[in-house]
Amino acid sequence: MNSALRSAYFIFSHSLNPNPNPKAFPLIFCLHSLPFISVSRLPLRVSRQEQPSRSVRTSTFCSSSTMAGTDANSLASSSSVEKQFEHFRTQLQDSGSLRDRIRSVAMEIESSTRLIQASLLLVHQSRLTPEVLEKPKSQVGLLKSFYNQLAEILRESPGLYYRYHGDWRSETQTAVSLLAFIHWLETGELLLHPEAEEKLGLNESDFNLDVEDYLIGICFMSNELPRYVVNQVTVGDYDCPRKVLKFFTDLHAAFRMLNLRNDFLRKKFDGMKYDLRRVEEVYYDVKIRGLLTMGD
Amino acid sequence: MFNTTGFHKAALMASKPKPQLLHTIAETAVQSSVKRARILSTQSSMKDAFAKYAEYLNNLNDKRERVVKASRDITMNSKKVIFQVHRISKQNKEEVLEKAEKDLGHVATWHISRLVKELQGTDFWKLRRAYSPGVQEYVEAATLCKFCKTGTLLSLDEINAGLLPLSDPSLEPLQISNLDYLLGLADLTGELMRLAIGRISDGELEYAEKICRFVRDIYRELTLLVPHMDDTSDMKMKMDTMLQSLMKIENACFSVHVRGSEYMPLLGSNDPGSFLSGVPDIEL
Repeated sequence: MNSALRSAYFIFSHSLNPNPNPKAFPLIFCLHSLPFISVSRLPLRVSRQEQPSRSVRTSTFCSSSTMAGTDANSLASSSSVEKQFEHFRTQLQDSGSLRDRIRSVAMEIESSTRLIQASLLLVHQSRLTPEVLEKPKSQVGLLKSFYNQLAEILRESPGLYYRYHGDWRSETQTAVSLLAFIHWLETGELLLHPEAEEKLGLNESDFNLDVEDYLIGICFMSNELPRYVVNQVTVGDYDCPRKVLKFFTDLHAAFRMLNLRNDFLRKKFDGMKYDLRRVEEVYYDVKIRGLLTMGD
Repeated sequence: MFNTTGFHKAALMASKPKPQLLHTIAETAVQSSVKRARILSTQSSMKDAFAKYAEYLNNLNDKRERVVKASRDITMNSKKVIFQVHRISKQNKEEVLEKAEKDLGHVATWHISRLVKELQGTDFWKLRRAYSPGVQEYVEAATLCKFCKTGTLLSLDEINAGLLPLSDPSLEPLQISNLDYLLGLADLTGELMRLAIGRISDGELEYAEKICRFVRDIYRELTLLVPHMDDTSDMKMKMDTMLQSLMKIENACFSVHVRGSEYMPLLGSNDPGSFLSGVPDIEL
């Protein structure tokens, strides 16, 4: 008796309900009749007491709630929404494929910097001779050709340089550090920003070397110096620590002129002083033992 | 004699290495002065170069700071617009939305306009992290206003068209990127959830259901776009919260469906007290 009444009530109320989704009905019915016993007592009371007046009220409630707008209107808008998202999808896919191309060149850059790095490791094994630097120097040309490829890809979409910057940023920092190290080994001087741009072929107006990347690259290079000093002393170049210390002190002083934010560059700069201290220690060790005058 | 020869000898012995010594001293002096000159020059060229980098970094940081400030102001004022929209009810719809739209216009003219001249050229992408939160919030406020007014989604082209008159024609106009638009849209669903709950408690079930459909549409469309976005992790997180919001709306709609058909008719009844007293464990 009760369940019959209830289902009758439901059919009745749903015939007035403007819900366009008829599938919802069985689910609601099941849930309604099972867990909400305390609530489900309500309609029985109501339906017994106020059956006649409810139909009127329900229908007025329905007609008052026309804020939802017409169905035709919402259909039209949903198709325009779809069109917009379709457009976004093609846009994002295009930028995704551009990114993939950039990433593949970045991977080439990465592997060529690795080659340079590997051949540059030989400077730790013997006294510095121009021959040691021949091989890494010859590999720089390859690196430059990859940067040319990158420049060509990015030239297709001007202004988007920094959108994809993250994809080849760390590779560039490594490249700068290697070039600066080679340059320093050759001349004993710091590779300056325009020179680094020149060497990488990044000196065009729309495609240049980011100054922060350059500075981070220089920091990376300075990480290499303590090891170089230690190994040079081991193979008998006792004057090396003095030269490196001089250069490094100047470099550190120059870096102190920069107002840095709390970012990666700041972190690298903060680490620089430990490398500097290491070089100082090596210089001290060599000097205190009088090795400086003994050498050569 | 002996003395003199001895002296001479000593002098000879002393003088013998002397020129050599002098020579070496002179040599090292010359060498070191050359070296010092070279070191000085490299030192000063290094200093000059770093002075340039310092200037570059100072300018960049100042600019970034200005952009961040503008972004914060955009966020703050867009939030106010969103709160204004939430004051909506059946009676004051036009009035509330009118004020919200006016405030939204102010956000664009006073704060977004500040971004235009800072984000010329490559800076638009370079400083994206600095301004993106504000722009997303603006997108959220603008789309929310539009939805409440017409029930439709404000498209990116419409927003960008509204931003065109902000700057003089000599500058590149600021155009919101599709990424920031989509991220803002993902945030919009949280506000729509609040709106839907508010409408339900106001008795506007139909409106809440409409919001529900709208959020479902957005969620479905965004699901397809997530893998193509630049910073996927951020968007994935937003998708999770979005689903949460959507489910909250759906559950609210469900509750009203289940129980609303029961208590709605009673809202106008003459004697609700007697009905409530008969059912002590009712959930309202």
